[in-house]
Amino acid sequence: MSIIVENLSKTFKIKEKQKGIGGALKSLVAPKTKLIKAVEDISFTIDDGQAVGFIGPNGAGKSTTVKMLSGILYPSAGRINVNGLVPYKNRIEHVKNIGVVFGQKSQLWWDLPITDTFDLLKKIYKIPSDVYSRNLELFNEILGLHEFETQQVRQLSLGQRMRADIAAAFLHEPSIVFLDEPTIGLDVVAKEKIRLFIKEINRVKKTTLLFTTHDMTDIEKTCQRIIVIDKGKILYDGTIDSFKTKLNKDDFNEAVYEMFTGGI
Amino acid sequence: MRKLFEPFSFYFQHSKMLTKTRMQYKLDAFLCCIAVFVRESAGIVGVFLVLQTFNNIGGWNMQELFFLFSIIFLTYSFLVFLFSGIRDFSNIVNNGEFDKYLLRPRSVLLQIISANSDYFAAIGHGTLGLVLFIISANSIGTDWSFANILYLIITIIGGVLIQASIWLLFSCSSFFLIKTDSLKDFLYWNTRKFAGYPLSVFPGFIQKLLMFVIPFAFVNYFPAQYFLHKPDLAN
Repeated sequence: MSIIVENLSKTFKIKEKQKGIGGALKSLVAPKTKLIKAVEDISFTIDDGQAVGFIGPNGAGKSTTVKMLSGILYPSAGRINVNGLVPYKNRIEHVKNIGVVFGQKSQLWWDLPITDTFDLLKKIYKIPSDVYSRNLELFNEILGLHEFETQQVRQLSLGQRMRADIAAAFLHEPSIVFLDEPTIGLDVVAKEKIRLFIKEINRVKKTTLLFTTHDMTDIEKTCQRIIVIDKGKILYDGTIDSFKTKLNKDDFNEAVYEMFTGGI
Repeated sequence: MRKLFEPFSFYFQHSKMLTKTRMQYKLDAFLCCIAVFVRESAGIVGVFLVLQTFNNIGGWNMQELFFLFSIIFLTYSFLVFLFSGIRDFSNIVNNGEFDKYLLRPRSVLLQIISANSDYFAAIGHGTLGLVLFIISANSIGTDWSFANILYLIITIIGGVLIQASIWLLFSCSSFFLIKTDSLKDFLYWNTRKFAGYPLSVFPGFIQKLLMFVIPFAFVNYFPAQYFLHKPDLAN
């Protein structure tokens, strides 16, 4: 079992902003705080090598969950165990074995070609030279990084940048990779390349994947199982087929729409 | 042994990348050096003009004041060369870049220090510091023996570490306050302005501030007293 989550919750305390200058002054003296339950009592387990789609509308708690699993956030309650480690307690040991792709953020050096970032990652993760060059070769083949590897990142298109960012997250052969909206804003061709890559790595390296996206085709093409979440709670956990059967739809997209618009 | 040197090789790998990055904007880099040099020199010109009318400030003549200033600029040069990541830490938290460091299996502090360096500001401050040091060093009556040179080196290392620690303290508050620029302006930069003048000219609470709260007096004033044999504050 590579990921075990039990009764996980995350509550954020946020300051409520009041309207106008008067309100701003008022909140300076007596700030009003509000508790927001981003994730509420969720439990699931993911086996080694499984590719799981993590679906939910904006603000459902997906990113918060991914952040807790990757060790960036402390949970408010509940337990997480990833590869036998507690992410927020054994940070360094834990992150050696995971990779994270945030579609909204890049870990590439903006002013340098991608190869410089890759070399740095080799150093950071202490990747042996043979593993490093073997992986680069494989990634090049599927993602076509050669076409733009000498250009600075700031000159790349979004699709090229994302392909490079995904390669960067897989370079150190992590056993688990969290993909948080890696296909956001990409064209069909770029999306297809990324799906192909994810599928291939999952097959060849048996990497466990948790894939967050709003594109249901991404999920259908790469994942065996889905976890559906809304308002911090799990609504469904199982295969895509039984999900469609449950909602009485032939089309996966329609089934998801049905679920979020209150079909159940 | 390898393990001991590993952080340094990690640091140098970053330095190589930072240099490559900065070298892409050569004009900006060049102007940054000049701008910093001119900006900081303006303050010194002010002191120079004041001393055309008055002979000294609190018993310190122009050469001695320049020596006091030179330690500020020399330490600051090393400070931004090595620790500008700590200075700019609140930005790193604010824009979410901190997550990236948390996701890598290395010490967060090492990563932040390695990934940032303000080379050109360091050159600007360093040049001014050297100029002031050269102007003043011969005329302040200090015998530059081996022991004194060693004392100067230790002074500079100590000064860099004191200021880096002050920054680190502010950086830690970024987690709660998110933006800490004004706090740093208020406590660090204002205190640094005081530190350009001998401590003895200030009222007691500012002296205490510079000795016990934001200990700038230990960066330049007390070491300068040693070199110049200044007895002020002895009582």
